[in-house]
Parts: sequence; C-alpha cells; structure tokens
Amino acid sequence: MRTLLLINLLIASLFLSSWQKGKPHFKFKFEHSHSLKNIPEPSDIVYDKETGHFFIVSDHGKLFECDTSGNIIRKAQKEGMDFEGVEIKDSFVYVSDESPRKIYKYRKSDLSLLREFNVSWGGAINKAFESITYNYSKNCFVLVSQAPCVVIEYNDDFKEINRYRFHSARDISDARWYNGYIYLLSALDETIFKCDPATYDVIESYKINVFNPEGLAFDNNGNVTITSDDLQKIYFFKNLPHN
Amino acid sequence: MKKLLLFTMAGIALSTASRAQFSEFQNNVGATPFTLSSDNNTFQIGGRVSFYYENRFLKANQDNLSHNGFDVKDADLDFLGKTASKFTYEFHLSVIDLATAAATLNTANPANPGIKAGYLQYTGFPVYIKFGYDKLPFSQGSLSEVYGTPMWSHANLYGGDLFSRRDIGLTLQAPLWKHRINLYGGVYSGMGENFFEYGNDASGRFEYVGRAEFSYPGKMKYHVIDEENSPIVQFRVAANARYEDKTQPNGGNVVTSYPDAPGAYGIRMINGKRGVYGGDAVILFKGISATFETDMVRAQPADANDPLYYGTSTTVNGKYVKAGGYAAGLNYNWQQIRSVFSVMYEDFNANDLAINATGAQSAGEQAWLYLGYAYKVNGFNSVFKFEYYRPTVESANLNPLKYYGQIRVGYQIVF
Repeated sequence: MRTLLLINLLIASLFLSSWQKGKPHFKFKFEHSHSLKNIPEPSDIVYDKETGHFFIVSDHGKLFECDTSGNIIRKAQKEGMDFEGVEIKDSFVYVSDESPRKIYKYRKSDLSLLREFNVSWGGAINKAFESITYNYSKNCFVLVSQAPCVVIEYNDDFKEINRYRFHSARDISDARWYNGYIYLLSALDETIFKCDPATYDVIESYKINVFNPEGLAFDNNGNVTITSDDLQKIYFFKNLPHN
Repeated sequence: MKKLLLFTMAGIALSTASRAQFSEFQNNVGATPFTLSSDNNTFQIGGRVSFYYENRFLKANQDNLSHNGFDVKDADLDFLGKTASKFTYEFHLSVIDLATAAATLNTANPANPGIKAGYLQYTGFPVYIKFGYDKLPFSQGSLSEVYGTPMWSHANLYGGDLFSRRDIGLTLQAPLWKHRINLYGGVYSGMGENFFEYGNDASGRFEYVGRAEFSYPGKMKYHVIDEENSPIVQFRVAANARYEDKTQPNGGNVVTSYPDAPGAYGIRMINGKRGVYGGDAVILFKGISATFETDMVRAQPADANDPLYYGTSTTVNGKYVKAGGYAAGLNYNWQQIRSVFSVMYEDFNANDLAINATGAQSAGEQAWLYLGYAYKVNGFNSVFKFEYYRPTVESANLNPLKYYGQIRVGYQIVF
C-alpha cells in the first residue's frame, strides 16, 4: 500500500512537469572568438561609441579599457571586490561591484573615481547585480539581480524607482540597451532576451552557442560581442537575426 | 580493482581545477539566501531543509521497520561572510545533527557532529590560505554537493566510512592557468569529524592531504549535474592522496582511546600508518554528465595482532591491509521537463583480508546500484527527489544487511 502511494506520488510529479516557458526563437552562433589573456574572469563588456573601444570588468574588481580585439589600453586605479557589470553614460563609466552592492562612477576621460553609490539586494552574496544598463526610454538606470531575476530601475542617484520580476530565465548575467530595446543575457540558459523597455516583457529570444556568457555588447553596426567568464574568452557575432 | 586503479592513475597526470571554495552556499545558482551588506562587508545567511519518506524492502524473517517511515535529512544553517580585505569566513551548522548528538550523548551518529564548516580564508595572495574546519580537498564525490543531485546521500566509497570528509587544519590552494589547474595541499588533525568528540589524538602527528586538478576548457565547479546543458564538452580530472601515522604512544590504541574514530569498518583511523590515494573525473555535455572515482586505502596497523589483519600471518598480509574501490555515475538533465535522471554504481572492499564464514578471504566486497530522479521546481533549491538503491553484492561479513533494497522519496528546499 505504501509503495503504491509512493509510485502514485512519483507519477503525479511527472504529470506536473511542464515544458519551460521562453524557448528561444532563434539560434545565434558566433563568428570567431579569442582568449582574453590578461583579463581574469571577464564578467561584462560595453562598447564605447565615441572611441570604438570596449570597457571590460573582471571578477577581480578591475576595470579595463580595451581595443576591439580585447587588448588592454589602460586600467582604472581604483579597484573593487567583484566587478560584474559595466555601462557607459555620457562621459562616465558605471561599474557594479556585486558582493558589496556598490556602484562606482568613473570619469571616462582618465578612469578616475568620481563617486560611489550603495544599492541594496538582500539575496545571495554572488547572485546580485551582474548587470547595469541605462533605459533611455524611461531615463533610468537598470540593474538586474542574477537570481532570482528582478529588474530594478534607479534614478541617477541610484535611488530605487520601480522593480519588475523577470520569469523567463533561470538567471540574468547582463543587461544592455540597444536601438530602443533592453537586452538581457542569461548565462545559465545561454540565451539573449530582447525585451520591451517599458515592461521588460520578452519580445524575442536567441539561443547562443557560448558557455557561461556573462557580458553583452553591441557595436555601432549592431554586431554582438559576448564575454565568457569561465573560459576567459571574447566571442564576436554578427547582428541578431530579425533584429 | 588493481587494474582499474592503475588505469585511472595512469590516465590522470596532474590535475585540476575549480573554485576556491567547497562551500555549498557560495556557488549555488538560484538559491535565495539573505545578505546583509555594510560598506565593505557582506554577510549571507542561507540554509537547507529536506525530509523524506523511506521504505526498506526487508528480507524474509526481518520485522524491524525502523527505516520504514519519515525522516528529516537536513535542517542546516549557513553563515558566509566576505570582507573587502579579501577574507572569507563561513559557519555551516546542521541543526538536526546537533540535536541528535545532544539527545543521544553523541552515540547515534558520532561522525556527524553537527558542524559542517567553520573556517577563515584569505584570498589576497596568489596562494589562498584557509584555516579551520571544512571539507578536505580529497575525493570529487565528497567535494560535490549531494543536494545538487537526485540522490539523498553519498556513495559508500566516499561517504565517510573509509576516510574522513572533513577536518580541522590548514589548507593552501594555488589556482593556475585561469583556474584550469588547482593545486591543494593541507595539514590536518587527522581526527576528521571526530575532532569535536576527542580533540587531537595522543600521537601528536598530523594528516597530510594533497590534490591536483585539471579542468578544460575552463574552470569548473564541484557540480556533477550539467544544469547549464553545456554547449561544449567540459571535463575535469584529478588525483589526490593523504597520509597519516597515528601510532599511539606508550602502547596506546586508537580503538580503545577513540572508539568512534575508526568508523564502521575500523579503517577510517587506525593505530598505525595509513595512506589513501585515488583519482576522479567528471565530464559534462548537453545535459549529460558522467563521473568516475576510485579511492584506495593502504593501512599498516602497528600491532601484528590488530583485528584488521583478520588473524592472517605477515607472509599472507604483507603487514598491510587494503580497502577501496570505484564509483561511476551517469546523469541526464532534461531541462525542458525540469527533470534529472541518475544512475550510479559502486564496488568497493572495506578490507581485503576479511574472511567469511567458510574461511575464504576477500569477503569484504560490496557493490551497490543507485537510481535517482529529481523534479526541479526551482533547480535543486526546490526539488522533489526519488532514490532507489540496492546491494548487488553483499558482504555478509562486514556489512550484513536486513534488506534487499530501499527507496527514499522527499522534498528539499535550499535558501
């Protein structure tokens, strides 16, 4: 009798199984890649339209400016604990230091530190803000917690304005504004989500063939660049399909 | 078994890598612990609660139903802190084990004292330094979190009966080549989980442990399920060894002075010299993962009449006793239906000199088959787990069983 009950429980659980939501619509493969030899554990990347350079941050609390191949041009003196997100707005570079829940504002001109902000996330130490971007349609910064995934909007002084739960991925490792949309990157699902900038609802999703993708950038032509933390590599794609 | 070991060791050169911590609560994707942060310090509070119903299929004429009912597997609390000055500290407590130890005067389960980690680590140098009580850098099966699999407990081979899994001491870790190579070296009390019961032993000697790992194409965590459905093949191979000489001074004896320390088979700590060596490997690709591990104990009891020799002469036993074996597993993470399927097989001998009722030797061999299924509501942080295991070879001498199979079905929450 007991055994029967257990078997029934097992079958019931199988019936409860459902196909996960948000299956990627498109497969998106990189064109080429190479190693980032001198940047340990690269966790995010952003493209600077003015110079055509990349800014890359490392888990080791370091901010680098690099050329289009990922070669280091210069490095910020002020280091942190666990840099996981980077964004450029106007003449400043903003960096998310995940573990201590800090945002650093650097001058882009000389990479000197201008200001620090404290942000709050009560979840796991290393599941906080791995992404930072700016939502130009709402004029606010956007930080997304890695897991559980919550999109949080902040004003320019990093005071919270609003938050949205994001259910379409198991984690989010980066966010990027490009061409009128917010793009979210999931490392665990290896998927890029194109989202409505007002609601963060998923419009399209793109399955990528990169392991442990943590950083997402778009250049002036819409070409996609991804960094992989665990593999310490940079991957170059063309434009997103149907973008 | 010898050939298997040689094959494995030959295939493994130096080895491997993974992250600085063994902490179950540092690299867990999706868990929702709580974190407090001040300017330069963060402090995380996490934990795990799990329970199951177990049912043993008893042999004929067996009527003890004590393992046919409910049980609490975990009620753990974990406190993990990091400072801007590159210190990490952690306390991991099992409330259930603490309560059990208190209620039974530590007689019910002395190898589970209730403290699973309590250490301080500095990561500011190229070589990380850790001092305190934590998992030993030995055995992939031991280092991997069982809660991150469909199984409810570790295989017997690396579950703590043949060698200790945790101890107090000093661990050095050198991550090299983008963390693809990890080298560990450490010195420990040698008392393992029984340190809290007895403190240091009278020999005054330490246990020495070393492990070398190589992972490719990048660093790997101690996960054996491919929850990321890796689009590329990832693998890690490792070799490890440990040694201690616990010969007691002035004719003392480990068994009489520290009766819980030798463990179920009397070989986890012995009155004499003991070495353990082994190797392990894991490969992950597109949701499929395979694991293999072998561990061998070579024990040299100081007393020629030690019961571990089973009364054999030195010409027969060569003045040493061997134990060990292998465990192999295959898993599939079917992410679309949130399910993980696992099968594992282990074959080990707890004493190669063991003699059965007819006087024949090699009666210490056991083999077990495990089947597991997990339905992940939220990864392994909120998961239904089902496990079935049965002995395929039974050692009537060293581990006589009253059952021929057992199931465990339950639920687990990690926060």
